[in-house]
Parts: sequence; C-alpha cells; structure tokens
Amino acid sequence: MGSTGLSRVHAVAANTFRETIREKVLYNLVFFAVLMTLSGLLLKPLSIRQDEKIIKDIGLASIELFGTLIALFMGVSLVSKEIERHSLHPLLAKPVSRGEFLLGKFAGLAFTLFVNVAVMTLGLYATLWATRRGAGLEMLQAVLAIYLGLLLVVAVALLFSTVTSSALALVLSVCAVVVGHFADVIRNMREVAPAVPTWATQVLYFALPNLRNFDLKTRVVYGDPVRASDLGWIALYAAAYVGVVLGLAFAAFRSKDLQ
Amino acid sequence: MASRTDPPLEIVGITKAYPVGFLARQRRLALDSLSLSLAAGELLGYLGPNGSGKTTTLKILTGLIFPDSGSVTVLGEPLASRGWRYRVGYLPERPYLYDYLTPNEYLDYAGRLFGMGAETRRARAKELLRQVGLEDSADVVMRRFSKGMVQRVGLAQALLNDPELVLLDEPMSGLDPLGRRLVRNIILDLKARGRTVLFSTHILSDAETLCDRVAVLRSGKLLAVGRLDQILDVGVSALEVLVSVPGATFPQLPAGVRVHPAMSERVRLDVPEGALAPVVAAVEGAGGKILSVLPTRQSLEDYFVQEMGPPAEGAWAPRD
Repeated sequence: MGSTGLSRVHAVAANTFRETIREKVLYNLVFFAVLMTLSGLLLKPLSIRQDEKIIKDIGLASIELFGTLIALFMGVSLVSKEIERHSLHPLLAKPVSRGEFLLGKFAGLAFTLFVNVAVMTLGLYATLWATRRGAGLEMLQAVLAIYLGLLLVVAVALLFSTVTSSALALVLSVCAVVVGHFADVIRNMREVAPAVPTWATQVLYFALPNLRNFDLKTRVVYGDPVRASDLGWIALYAAAYVGVVLGLAFAAFRSKDLQ
Repeated sequence: MASRTDPPLEIVGITKAYPVGFLARQRRLALDSLSLSLAAGELLGYLGPNGSGKTTTLKILTGLIFPDSGSVTVLGEPLASRGWRYRVGYLPERPYLYDYLTPNEYLDYAGRLFGMGAETRRARAKELLRQVGLEDSADVVMRRFSKGMVQRVGLAQALLNDPELVLLDEPMSGLDPLGRRLVRNIILDLKARGRTVLFSTHILSDAETLCDRVAVLRSGKLLAVGRLDQILDVGVSALEVLVSVPGATFPQLPAGVRVHPAMSERVRLDVPEGALAPVVAAVEGAGGKILSVLPTRQSLEDYFVQEMGPPAEGAWAPRD
C-alpha cells in the first residue's frame, strides 16, 4: 500500500470538485442561461453589429462575474471551513501532507471554474448562433484571460482562508479583487497623493493581483487583435502570481496548529 | 528505519502551551512534560476530566498541532515522517465528516489517500460498514445521519488501513447503548488481533471494562499510569448488603453499619469487612431476608474524586 503525491492531490481535488457539485455551485449556470436567452430576445430589434457586441459584452462580463463570485465564495471556505468544522482532522492524520491538501483544494476549485467557464462560453456561442450572429475563435482569448484571472482570485482567497476565518477571508479577498481591478490607480497614486511614499505604492502594486491585465473583453469585442505574446505574458504573470501566493499559503498552513 | 520491536508509541517530555488573551500575550499550559510509552498489543485508556489535555495529546500524535518541546516516536518513526501515517488510524473527537458524501464515498476518498486500489477500497468499505452496523446506510448522504451514525463512520475510516496503532478520541461519544457495545467489541477485537489501541475517555466505566492500563491526566500533567489494580485499591474494603425487612421491625445492627433506604421494604446496608455475620443474624432474627451481598472496591470514579476533588458540573462523567 502506498500513494504518490500526485494521486493524493488528485484525490483531494476530485473531492473538492464533488463538493462544489453537491453544494449546487453550478446552479449559477441556470442564471447564465436565462440571462443569455433574455439578451438574445430583447436585443433582436437592434442593428446587427450593435446587438452582437452587446451580447458578447454581457456574456463575457457574466462569465467573469459568476466566475469571480464562485472563486471568492468557494475559495475563502476552501480551508477555513475545514479548519472551523475540523473536517480535515481525520484526513491530515493520513498520508496526505498539508501542501498536497492545499494544492488539491486549489486544483479542485480551479477545475470547477474551468467547467463553469467552459459551459458558459458554450452558452455564449450558442446565443450568438441562435440570434444568427457569428463569433470567431478570438472570443476564446478573452475567456482564457478571464479564467487565468479567476485562478489568481482563487489563490488569494485560499491564502486568506488559511490564515483567518471564512468571514474575514471573504472581506479581505473582496478588497483584494476590487483593488486588483484598479491596479493602475495604485501605480499612479503618487499623482493624486504625493505624500504616499513610492515604495509603498510599489509594494501594494506588486502584492495585489493586477486583474486589469486579464481584461481583454473590450479588445476582443471591438475587434482589436490580441497577440499571442500578450496572452503568453498574461499566462506567465498568472503562473508566477499563483505560485507565490500558494507558496505563502503553504508557509502559513504548514506550521498552523489545528485546534 | 523502523524496527518491529520499537514501541508503537513513545512520548518523551512533550509540552504544549496555547496562546490566550488579548493579542495572545499569555499562554495556557495544556501539556506539561508528558512522557508515555505504549507496548505492542496494549490497550491503554487515556483518562482525565474535560480540559485536562487528552485531545491535545492525540492531536500532537497525529501531527495536527505541534509540541513546543519534547519528542514523539510513532511506530519507530519520528512524528515528521510520513511512513507511520500508513499504519495508524485516528478517530477525532466529535468527527465532522463531509456531510455531502455517503459513507461509501467518504471511505473511498480516505482509501485513495492511502493509495489503495479501487477493488480494495470497495471491499474494505463494505467490510467496515458492516462491522459498524451501517451497511444499510452505505449510500445515504451523511447530512441525514445522527451524531452516533457519523461517529460510526468515523470509526470505520480510522480502521480503513487495518492500522497497527489506533488512536481514538472519545470513541463512545454520542453513541447509544447499542453503539457503545459495538464500539467496545471493535476495540476488543483490535486487541485480540494484536493491535495497539490508545483511547481517550472521560467515561470511567469504559476504561474499567476495556483497558490493560490507564493513564490519568490532570491539568496537562500525567497523574498516574499503570494497571488498574496498581492505581486503585482493589482489596475489598466493605460489603454492600441488600436486605428486605417486613414492617417497621428493623433490627438493631452492629456499630459501623450504615443504612440507606431503597425500594418498598428493601434497605441497602454498607457493612464493614468482618461484620457480615452479626448483620445476617440480626436481619434474619427480625424476619427479614438477605437479598444480595456485593464486595465494594475502589472504582476509578472513587480514585478521580479522591485525586481531583468533587467534579464541577459536567466536568467528567463517572458512570453512565
């Protein structure tokens, strides 16, 4: 009898995915379907070019919004709920390390988001097809960027989840996400608040997730081409940021007393 | 490398203090230089009132919390290694198992963490759920379970890997009389199969029934450890005599006999050793009958009261 690290991570991830299914997280897809149907019906009277853009806008924004809500609400409870309910006690006495447990939790929610984003994207394409408006594969570039941004949100929520309660983790994560969408404001803070030291704005700018990087919606909707290198840099930033944040979460969790 | 002759569990001088108070500036000592060793195949009862440090000890043994000092060796391996985790089973106190899963699903998940194959996982789950009396609820989500049923699934997951060392934190908690008997039988079966068991409890009758040795903890310190006959005064110190005496013609009794009214015409007498014969003669002379004679020995409950003073409300359960 023996298990590999990968098989243990997979087991935790599979159970996390099952939890999200059983907790009916994917019910948001029903709301998305209703929203897309209504958009298609209500925007029919508009001109062809306009309604196509509006449907794409609404669709991509909805994918991001629903994804962010799931990433936040499920992400903050990934570990803190387990600590509060003691449900991880019998598991961590088994041959799964705390690092594997964290990684499995992250991977499980990442997969839930993947399924969620994939189904919503298919729904968006179906709506465009049903209203006889075409949509090229370039929309997938915006969707991919949204998904990578969601992984950052999950990582941040997971970090807060390991160090504090679910409620406080939610507050902190929401703050990080909101500020992350205005990262440019932080970078240019000295222009409006010269008293703030440069190092402070720099630290804040690099510490918070720069979610503006992941917003390709407008460019895609208005036909502004997205280069492969742009996507490459976004993916690299996401991988580095998620890696660092998960590393911090592991450092905080590895020596935590689970009372 | 662990040797098969290593003691299954060796605790040497572990101390643990928890931060308390505003900004955690103070520390409350939960365990104070605790040392304890278990022999292979032994069944040790870990006793103490609530807050004495029993759960803290078990959480240290399973790596859930970290001692401030001291060392622990589990099945010959240091606590930090992973190998012993394949050979140990652990039931936490009041286990919370994912209530969106069925027992079968939970055991399957736990089995995957041990690296068991699918067929083995299925077979073990079936066998264990039968053992804990839940074979008919194997596919019911645990959200619908009573506390006692969850406790049984908790016990099943603790035995999933057929562990050499079993750590049980209050295993009888939340169980009805049938459930408690079932758990007792499982513990005795583990012992019969040569497994080493450490179980914590504040229900003294469980320890009296099951254990080879007991360790008694008070305020994080080990008060006593040994066989029950070493810790308790097992010699007969008095007799409890139940008699039936008709009417109000109760006889004159020898000095030292204490009388406690029981039901209807029955009376319970505490009789000092050596005073039984005159009591029997007096009762029979008054037309009464001797219904039963029981020797009185010091129980763990008496020991607890003696060592720790009268219990505070709900501090420990002498018998149930």
